Amino acid sequence: MAALPRRIIKETQRLMQEPVPGISAVPDDSNARYFHVIVTGPEDSPFEGGLFKLELFLPEDYPMSAPKVRFITKIYHPNIDRLGRICLDILKDKWSPALQIRTVLLSIQALLSAPNPDDPLANDVAELWKVNESEAIRNAKEWTRRYAMDN
Amino acid sequence: MEQFEQLLTCAICLDRYRNPKLLPCQHSFCMEPCLEGLVDYVRRQVKCPECRAEHRIPYNGVQGFPTNVTLQRFLELHIEITGELPDPTSGQIMERCNVCSEKAYCSFCSHCDKKICEECKGAHMEILRREISRINNQIRRGIHRLQDTLSLVEKNTQNIQTNCSSVGEEVEEIYRRLNKALKDRTEYLRGELDKYLSTELRSLTNLKENLEQEISNILSNCDLADKHMNENVDIWDDCELMDAKEIFLKTVEFIRNFEYENSDYSRKVRLVLGHDPNQLVLHVAGFGDLNITNANSVFGQSSSLLQPPVPGLMRSKSDHRLASQFRQQEERGYGERGYGDEDQVLSGRKFGERPKSTGESRYGRGGDYGDDYDHDSRPTRSKYSSRFRRHPTTENDSDSEQTPRVRFNEHKERERTLDTEDVAKGPLSGITRLADSPRVMKKMQECESGKTKKKEDPPKPPEPKVVPKRPPPPAVRQVSEEDEISRIKKQNKGATTSTETTAEMRPAAEDRQRKTPVPEAVSSAEESEESTTVQQRKTPTKTAAATRRPSDATHKKSPRSASSDSSSTESSTSSNPIRTTGAPFTTEEVKKKILSKVEPTPPVRKAPSPVQNKPFQSRFLQNKTSTAAPQEDDEVETSSEEETETEEESDEETEKTDTKEIAKSDIGALLARSANARDNSVENIRRRSRDDTDSPSRTRYTSSREREKEEPPKYTRTRNTTVTEEEPPKYGYTSRFLNKSKSSAAIPPEEEDHSSRYSSAADDDSKYPTSRSRYMAMKERRQRLARSRSSQQFGDEDESEEAISPTSSNPSAYLASRGYGSSSSAHDLARSRSSHALKSRDNSPDRSASSATEKDGAALSSWARYLKSKYGNRSGTKDKDVTSSVSTPSASSSGAARRLSLGLPLRSSTELASSDDDSKNMQGSPTTPTAAMAVAGIAQAVAGTTPRGQYLQKCEQLFQIGSRGSEAGCFTWPRGVAVGPDNTIVVADSSNHRVQVFDANGRFLKEFGQYGNKEGEFDCLAGVAVNRIGQYIIADRYNHRIQVFDPSGRFLRAFGSQGTADGRFNYPWGITTDALGFIYVCDKENHRVQVFQSDGTFVGKFGSMGNKEGQLEHPHYIAVSSTNRVVVSDSNNHRIQIFDVNGKVLTSFGSEGSEEGQFKFPRGVAVDDQGYICVADSGNNRIQIFSPDGTFLRAFGCWGIGKGEFKGLEGVAMTSNGHILVCDRENHRIQVF
Repeated sequence: MAALPRRIIKETQRLMQEPVPGISAVPDDSNARYFHVIVTGPEDSPFEGGLFKLELFLPEDYPMSAPKVRFITKIYHPNIDRLGRICLDILKDKWSPALQIRTVLLSIQALLSAPNPDDPLANDVAELWKVNESEAIRNAKEWTRRYAMDN
Repeated sequence: MEQFEQLLTCAICLDRYRNPKLLPCQHSFCMEPCLEGLVDYVRRQVKCPECRAEHRIPYNGVQGFPTNVTLQRFLELHIEITGELPDPTSGQIMERCNVCSEKAYCSFCSHCDKKICEECKGAHMEILRREISRINNQIRRGIHRLQDTLSLVEKNTQNIQTNCSSVGEEVEEIYRRLNKALKDRTEYLRGELDKYLSTELRSLTNLKENLEQEISNILSNCDLADKHMNENVDIWDDCELMDAKEIFLKTVEFIRNFEYENSDYSRKVRLVLGHDPNQLVLHVAGFGDLNITNANSVFGQSSSLLQPPVPGLMRSKSDHRLASQFRQQEERGYGERGYGDEDQVLSGRKFGERPKSTGESRYGRGGDYGDDYDHDSRPTRSKYSSRFRRHPTTENDSDSEQTPRVRFNEHKERERTLDTEDVAKGPLSGITRLADSPRVMKKMQECESGKTKKKEDPPKPPEPKVVPKRPPPPAVRQVSEEDEISRIKKQNKGATTSTETTAEMRPAAEDRQRKTPVPEAVSSAEESEESTTVQQRKTPTKTAAATRRPSDATHKKSPRSASSDSSSTESSTSSNPIRTTGAPFTTEEVKKKILSKVEPTPPVRKAPSPVQNKPFQSRFLQNKTSTAAPQEDDEVETSSEEETETEEESDEETEKTDTKEIAKSDIGALLARSANARDNSVENIRRRSRDDTDSPSRTRYTSSREREKEEPPKYTRTRNTTVTEEEPPKYGYTSRFLNKSKSSAAIPPEEEDHSSRYSSAADDDSKYPTSRSRYMAMKERRQRLARSRSSQQFGDEDESEEAISPTSSNPSAYLASRGYGSSSSAHDLARSRSSHALKSRDNSPDRSASSATEKDGAALSSWARYLKSKYGNRSGTKDKDVTSSVSTPSASSSGAARRLSLGLPLRSSTELASSDDDSKNMQGSPTTPTAAMAVAGIAQAVAGTTPRGQYLQKCEQLFQIGSRGSEAGCFTWPRGVAVGPDNTIVVADSSNHRVQVFDANGRFLKEFGQYGNKEGEFDCLAGVAVNRIGQYIIADRYNHRIQVFDPSGRFLRAFGSQGTADGRFNYPWGITTDALGFIYVCDKENHRVQVFQSDGTFVGKFGSMGNKEGQLEHPHYIAVSSTNRVVVSDSNNHRIQIFDVNGKVLTSFGSEGSEEGQFKFPRGVAVDDQGYICVADSGNNRIQIFSPDGTFLRAFGCWGIGKGEFKGLEGVAMTSNGHILVCDRENHRIQVF
């Protein structure tokens, strides 16, 4: 395997040295391109108080292509499906090499604060969110308590 | 400042901008690789990562974007402010790495001769470093050869001095004696002469006086007569006249008769010499010669001083080859192409090309010499020559007519540069002393000033400092540098300095010549010419060099001049000891160990010895005389012939012995034993099958066996095993001992020992009525054994064994003394040993006739037939033998021994065949436990301590072996550990890729193996095992194979390769062997255990990936108990599983956890002779001991580095005296409890 690009090393170092509040990303012992991520639910959102596990993988041509990010913890969110896949433009076509792991994770955290039911990935959730937002938020809180808090 | 930094950081690579390109959107990015990576080649546009604006790419690509000059200025400013080093790659262009084909800033790699990227280069350098350290280890391990040689040379020096002084004394003595004899004789002769002279003189004077008197008397008479007688004077009366007449007549008569015997006195004295005086003078003059060859034979083996000849040429040569190979590797390892080149240069490689290019790339990136000198760790020819090339006129202007030649000579000069470089060189090998190399010195200095690491670092690529261009400096700087060098050298060596240019040029030329393997290529004319030019070129250079070089010259000269007169002798002496000491296993040793025949050995040894051929020596010789070379060659040939002869001889011997069924070789012994053991088991089977029809006509022996069968309570059984098994270890030892001192006659007694043993068993048993407990019989026997304390029981008591061993003393007497005399075999024993094997074999059918029943014969012969049909390629007589062997233990054992000596399996039929009977029998069979353990059992029983109690007390570390390192006695991640004969400790020193052997007290005995994948080489070996004949069986983990070595550490065979098929391995780990020599391997990544015969034939396997019963997940270590329980550490299932030999699970215990009896990744397992199980609970860093049924007994140890603390446990082993050896991997040591 080719050695780790300097950029990844630098990013990792910086993540360790200056962690973003509410976000922790730790590279895997055996694969430095694979990160174990924990994102706290943002305040004033239905996900407040939850600790959401994600996995983040830097593909071979990173930073020319976007990292692969996925929620491991179940989450009730219109832009995140049952498998934890995230619908976020910067992870897709809006990726830019100027973005970094930390910015991506911050974006995801922001996505939790501001669900976008108009660009849904989980259709049922998005539907409910649009139709009955309070129930949806209740569901989200429930899920957060159930899945993102007991550990 | 931080923000400033951030402004200078490319958003893509997060690094400082390199060649920043400005996009139309005013964002800047590095041109390579950042901006290039952004290019959308299809649409020929680039999207700004910052603002996502899309820009068309200029016609000539991304470099067509304008460079952000402002940013660049800032970058420069930043550099100035912070004082940080400039980007080394600035101004360079990226290229594809020739190794990983990534685009990167490439530089030339001397290792692979390609332009490659830094990463690959780093990796290559790492490889080089590792290689060097590995080779260095080898050197360290091998240096003792030279040291031994040195001591031998010293000894030889002493010897030659004493020899010469004694010969001188002898000469003096002879001189004195001769002198004395000569003097004595001369004096005697003189005395005699004097005496003779005086007597003769006396008689002569006497005579003279008498004569004178006579004459006067007569004359007076005459006168008187004339005067008075004639006158008629009557004064005379008649009477008177008569008287007168009478007187006168008498006088006449006297005168007439008187005769003087002239002859008497004319005799001459003559000196008669016993020898021709000339001859005598010659004899005396040459009364002695100093005959060197005679001296040889006198000094001969002890000193081997004047004697080039030494035995074991082949090996020594190979050692040398090895050594020289190492040297080459080393040289290559330094990337010292120049060094290695000299052959190539000589062989006509065009000079200008490669060396030049390499020189440039290595030293010359900066292009100027001074730079090189700074960065490179070693001086090289190319550098040197380049020095000359660059400044030929400045340095050579005095003789400008030389300049045209300079170029031509450069090539010679090249070789010489190294030689003449101020580097102390080994006079024999031409290996430079690195510490003297200015580059290395420089590096070292840097090192000390806190910069870098180790001395032998390979030439690092010149650190790409952008040196503020110093003008190519040489003269001044060189002088100063070399001044320093010479100063240091003076300090180092106290070398004398003289400015003799001749001395300077001579060794130089010689050195070059010496280094060239084909000296005839260089004509003497050329040489002289060259040397003159050399001199000419040298002398003007600088005085510092002049003062320095002569010291070098003297340094080199002294050994050479010493060798010049007696080059052959000297060099051979040096070579000679190397061979004797160098070879890990000299022929003598091997012979002692494996072959017998000591008597024939000396001549054999002497014969090939004169033939010593060494690269070094030959080089010397060729330098000196051209005739010497062919001689050498001849000698080599003969020597090798002789060597092969001896080897053939040995082969023949072994063959003979094999065919004679004398288990002469160790293997034979084992096989005989195992055959014997097997036989017993077979016997048992037969017994069982036939119990009901017990025949009354049985001999005592068989009946005793029967009884054994009938009452098999557990304890009895174990005792039983000890009794039946007590012999085998002795065979192992005795045979070895005997082989040392005896010829082929040595082993036969073994045969009758079997019989005697059986007869003894019979005796014992017969003493006790059947009603009596068998235990009593056993106990009694044990007592007796303890009393006699013969080596038979205690195999490890070598001395007593040699003393009392039936084979070394009169066997019959011995046996009689042991109360075995009554048995019929004693008669045999009384007979000549050499014929004994045959005798006993002859006997055996008789015995068989009496002892065996037809049924047995039938039952077994089918088995024999099976064997035969499977493996049989034997003659008819042997067939007969085989069938006959079926009926009688000794005969069958001999037959089996013969079969087994060919590596044929016996156990496969009994143990691994599907028959339940067999397997049960095997479990209960008294014949299977390992002898050593049985012996230990006795010892323990005698000592009165139960192993249980002993283990319960365990916790204190007795001692420990080793620390991290690669020297002898040090380890780097040791893994497997095993107990060899005499309780030697055998350790798989995994990351040093070798096996080390220690004695029972932890003293280093020997080591073997090195890194590699060839025969006898290892790659991170893991498990070790020692079988009963002392062969080492090694799981060569990363080579996915098993290797077997003989007791002296010589490679015997290897089997297996990577794969999942039968007989293939995936990281074989633990390994063990049982009493019959079967090899059990933990095939870790295949999650199974494989079983092989000792010759590597696949026998069976069991286990598969999983956590159910009988399944395994990463089994690590394995042990086989005396009762054939196969204990496997099922590591990832956190349990120990115990199988029978067929792979059926008997029991398993343990689960994940850290309670007593629980495990976390158990690794090493060991079983003692009583069946107690020791487990290295690696995750818990403790040792746990279990009783044979798997109940927890004791645990001790914890994580740590202190005594009795562990970090990462690997193998464990249990010695016969109850010690537990623990391999404490991360602490790089073996602990003994």
